[in-house]
Amino acid sequence: MKKWARTNLWRHVISLGMCAFALFPLYLVILSSFSQTGSLQLTSFAPSAISWRNYKLLFNSPAIPYLTWMKNSLVVAGTVAIVSVIVGGASAFAFSRLKFRGKKLGIQLLLLVQMFPAILAIAAVYVIMERVYRFAPRVGLGTQAGLILVYLGGAMGVNIWLLKGFVDSIPIELDEAAKIDGASPVQTYWLIFVPLATPVLAVVALMSFIGTFNEFILARLFLVDMGNRTIAVGLQAFIAGQYSRNWGPFAAGSILASIPIVIIFLSLQKYIIGGLTAGSVKG
Amino acid sequence: MATVNMLFRGKFALITKLIVLSGISAILVLLIESALAKKEYTIALFLAASLAALCYTYLSARTVPMKFFLPGLLLLFAFVVAPIVYTVVMSNYNYKTGNIISKQEAITQIKGLGVEPDANGTTFDIVVGKTSTGEYAILASDSPNHVYFVSTATKKTDLLPSQVTLNADGVATAAPNFTVVPEAQLAGNEDYAKINFAYADKYFVSVQGLNVGAVFRQSLKYNPASDTVVNLIDGKIYKDNGRGNYANVNDSADILQPGWRATNWFANYGKLFSDPLVRGPLFRVFIWTVAFAFLTVLSSFAFGLLLALTLNKPMRGRRFYRGVLVLPYAIPSVMSILIWGGMFDTEFGAINHLLGTHIAWFQNASFARTAVILVNLWLAFPYFYLISSGALQAIPSELLEAAAIDGANPRQIFKKITLPLLMQILTPLLIASFAFNFNNFNLIFLLTGGGPKDLLGGQIAGATDILISYTYQIAFGSNTQDLGLASSISVIIFFIIAGISLYGLRKSKVLETFG
Amino acid sequence: MNRRILGLLGLLTSAALVTSLAVVPGAQAAGGTIVVWADETRGPNLQKVMDAKSDWVPGYTIKIVTYSSFDALKAAFDKATGTTGPDVVVAANDWVPTAAKSGKLAPVTLTGSQKAQFNPTQFFDLSYQGKLYGVPVDINNVAMIYNTALVKTAPKKFGDMVDFYKANKSADGLKAGLCIAGGGMSWGAHSVFSALGADAYYMAGGRPNYHKFFNSATFASNVKTYLLGPDGKSNGFFPATDTGCKDNFLAGKVPFAVIGNWEWKDYVAKGFDMNLMPVPSVNAGQNGAMFGSVSGALLTSFADTHGVATGAKSLLTNFFASTAGQVAYQKFEGRPPAAKGAQADASVSAGQKGFGTAASLSGIPQIGAFLNSNAGGASYWDSAPAYWTAVLVNGKNPVVEAKKLAAIWRKNMLVGKSDL
Repeated sequence: MKKWARTNLWRHVISLGMCAFALFPLYLVILSSFSQTGSLQLTSFAPSAISWRNYKLLFNSPAIPYLTWMKNSLVVAGTVAIVSVIVGGASAFAFSRLKFRGKKLGIQLLLLVQMFPAILAIAAVYVIMERVYRFAPRVGLGTQAGLILVYLGGAMGVNIWLLKGFVDSIPIELDEAAKIDGASPVQTYWLIFVPLATPVLAVVALMSFIGTFNEFILARLFLVDMGNRTIAVGLQAFIAGQYSRNWGPFAAGSILASIPIVIIFLSLQKYIIGGLTAGSVKG
Repeated sequence: MATVNMLFRGKFALITKLIVLSGISAILVLLIESALAKKEYTIALFLAASLAALCYTYLSARTVPMKFFLPGLLLLFAFVVAPIVYTVVMSNYNYKTGNIISKQEAITQIKGLGVEPDANGTTFDIVVGKTSTGEYAILASDSPNHVYFVSTATKKTDLLPSQVTLNADGVATAAPNFTVVPEAQLAGNEDYAKINFAYADKYFVSVQGLNVGAVFRQSLKYNPASDTVVNLIDGKIYKDNGRGNYANVNDSADILQPGWRATNWFANYGKLFSDPLVRGPLFRVFIWTVAFAFLTVLSSFAFGLLLALTLNKPMRGRRFYRGVLVLPYAIPSVMSILIWGGMFDTEFGAINHLLGTHIAWFQNASFARTAVILVNLWLAFPYFYLISSGALQAIPSELLEAAAIDGANPRQIFKKITLPLLMQILTPLLIASFAFNFNNFNLIFLLTGGGPKDLLGGQIAGATDILISYTYQIAFGSNTQDLGLASSISVIIFFIIAGISLYGLRKSKVLETFG
Repeated sequence: MNRRILGLLGLLTSAALVTSLAVVPGAQAAGGTIVVWADETRGPNLQKVMDAKSDWVPGYTIKIVTYSSFDALKAAFDKATGTTGPDVVVAANDWVPTAAKSGKLAPVTLTGSQKAQFNPTQFFDLSYQGKLYGVPVDINNVAMIYNTALVKTAPKKFGDMVDFYKANKSADGLKAGLCIAGGGMSWGAHSVFSALGADAYYMAGGRPNYHKFFNSATFASNVKTYLLGPDGKSNGFFPATDTGCKDNFLAGKVPFAVIGNWEWKDYVAKGFDMNLMPVPSVNAGQNGAMFGSVSGALLTSFADTHGVATGAKSLLTNFFASTAGQVAYQKFEGRPPAAKGAQADASVSAGQKGFGTAASLSGIPQIGAFLNSNAGGASYWDSAPAYWTAVLVNGKNPVVEAKKLAAIWRKNMLVGKSDL
């Protein structure tokens, strides 16, 4: 008992303390989502009465197409995640495995370009997409397709960089063996690299997914129609109203929106840690 | 393997490739066609170049690396490089509220605004039609005074009440030598509304709605030959002042609105260093940005590392702790930041409730800064916990065992072996994290909005404003916007971040692997 | 090798051309469509009106585009250009000066009878350098309500409210005496500023008076008397922020609150017995002035680019500024309409009328050219809440801060004069 206390008690104390810190806001949000009042207040730590009003509002109110927003977010973030990994993976593979002139310069330029604060290029992106809208209204400003393209462009730099780290860690002997068998680089990519890297690609895709899911400055500007919005834009509007802040539905909506992400995150945790150490920062 | 190989070799592969390429080319050709039709030449050129590059790359056998790079490269170029170039260009423009549109648009608008109504503000009920020669004309009625006339761009014909057909309101609806144009037709083409219909002297009737005409005369006239605007009434002459406005030649403060965006070359950059109103806040914000990025990385790393060390050994409940501790990282940060904002509320916030205090967190500089760092600690410590525990596991256990056999105590092992090795692995990540927080826009924007600031004392930047949020405020702030100045700060931030990151990369020796 | 490439290229090009011919080029918006941008409450309500009756402008189609919030609408309009910009935007009146200066708005001309539908001061809000850029749609104003269960007699002067608060604070568990529930600490709180002697500007004969400014010493001494305790800190009567005001009022924890006319129905729905009145001034018989501002339907310069300027002008006069249009719209929106004919309409609710009355008792026009100006170092919108924070939260000297405030407002007004 004494030994246990010496070696493990302090571990539990620290862990429990940090868990409390981590859980505190979450508990509060859950509490507010079940509360009747519209504000995020804390009168007591135990719920006085449980009301499903806020949840019902999300699904019954015609003014709040919550499920459509959720679907939009999944479509936008899902497309960005998958396409950016496929496209970025190919570039990362080439940077890691192929020999060509200007490789060092290329990767340095890539790094440099990716450091530009994207938020400040918003005005420029807006102008470009507006011009695209002029001749291709389906992929220009105001469309999910346009937003996806912009996100894809933005995700390239980070993803290539991240994936390159993974490719570097896959033993080169494997593709050298393939080369001896007469495989072309394209074949090596599809037959050797992709199967090996699938878990890693999945993790990078997930990180892109979360990042895109979170983005709201561009989305707010791009997606105007009520039925077009993503969940972040839709929910943020609850508490960014001109005259009032409505925390109840916001809390309920946030919880529901977080659940899928949290589940994916927790189930892929092992891979994500590997991914993080390979050189990423949460975006 | 052989069947899989089939997919990448031989006729089947070639045909698949051709079908996909043809599809993409078809879409691109289509886009180029419509871009050209809308006179978007730059974009058409980019699309055409993309098309050529795609066909060449995927049909030639010589361009192997390009086959991998091209899609990413095109996306990167269109949505990252082009906006950067555009931002750099913008930073050399006087591009702010009042100087937003192009010069051509500004001239059109100055001409449109440069009219003044007659002394009585006379308006008429009108019907739009055509004369027998097919010329646009209006049939105007001033029913209280029984005045009726038909007017074209050149000629006004007065009519007697007996000559026109009146409706119940006394408005003329038909007249000789005048055919009414149906409203549906007018809606399709508003060219008629640009005509100044003859009235009297210098005055004309201008269409101000489907059924309304108002009497105006031109007061400002643009002279393309000398690029000047003349006030026809008082004779004042306005000249292009080189900064995006027409200014009175005798009084440079008397300018015509709207102005246009005009090149001012390095004036925005100059302003950053010479204008005390810009320089002062910028310097203060820079200091806080560095302090914030440093403190937030330090605190989150300290907590993350502590947790990693705590949970590094097998113990009961480790899986549970781990699952709970990464929750803040998994939850969409937009939502959690907004929730923290609510928790810091003075009156109702949970924080004050918990502490039994009544602190106005976001109204006081020190409290607001503390709150920002605390919230970011919550958001970021799981990340540092994850990477620290990853790094701890990467340290070969033989090394630690050997040290233990050599008689080193745990503290010595940690100080002499674990920590240095850990830092070696994590330094590049810490630097990257520093760079990320340097630009952590969402946190500041959503939590404090950059505030508080002593506005009455003349402060422009808030106490928690970091460079990027301050720049965003300059660019897209609510009252006045200065895109030119904001772009120039963006370019400077870019160099700072690039410097930090390149330093980090050199430190991690990552670039050498490309040698 | 090269011949193969050429052959393939030929094949590809022909395939591409064939496909491109098969697909109809991207559909463009049909001519004669007027696009109206609005925020999250006005947009859906306008849509309902348009669904019920679409032919406000014969020959034109009207398309309503709704933004997720007022901020988002502003952000998008700030970046809008000829291609994607709206033809009409339903906006706050204070957008007019900057938007007009930047060439985003186009002037409108009203006939005599159209003008007669509105109070002339309402046009201040929508004008820049002598030109009118839109039509008034609805009146935005605030009024003070008091909880008749707590307060038996209407306060005659500001001090009555403070005395009530001090006397009943502990017995009723009051959290504050008077708070701002609607309109924020600048716009909504103007009536409190004014009741204590600090008006943003004074009007004389329907025009701004450029020779009279508020006396910072009088104002500061009133702040000390009524809002601060002997220790120089807030006495709790007037909170510096609007957070929780509505909930507290409805919970019976605040006897007096300033509310916006757009949220009146929320209070009525709670079944409270409440009275509506202006904020009484420190002198009996006078009231604090409040902004009786209007939301405008503004005509953009993009309408001309889109070839629908005439149609858009007609939409403004036939729908937005007309009695029929305002009645139809306010049936859903529930704000006091701006047009006199619509105000007199039987369908306008008592609440809407009550706010109209409160506005006529002590309303001043909201003049964006002064309020939005940054000439004095900060706009009215930013400097007004800053005063409350400085004095009531951070305990700064009310006299010194009032002097700064007075200087800022004075400069903003004198510089903004040229834009009016």
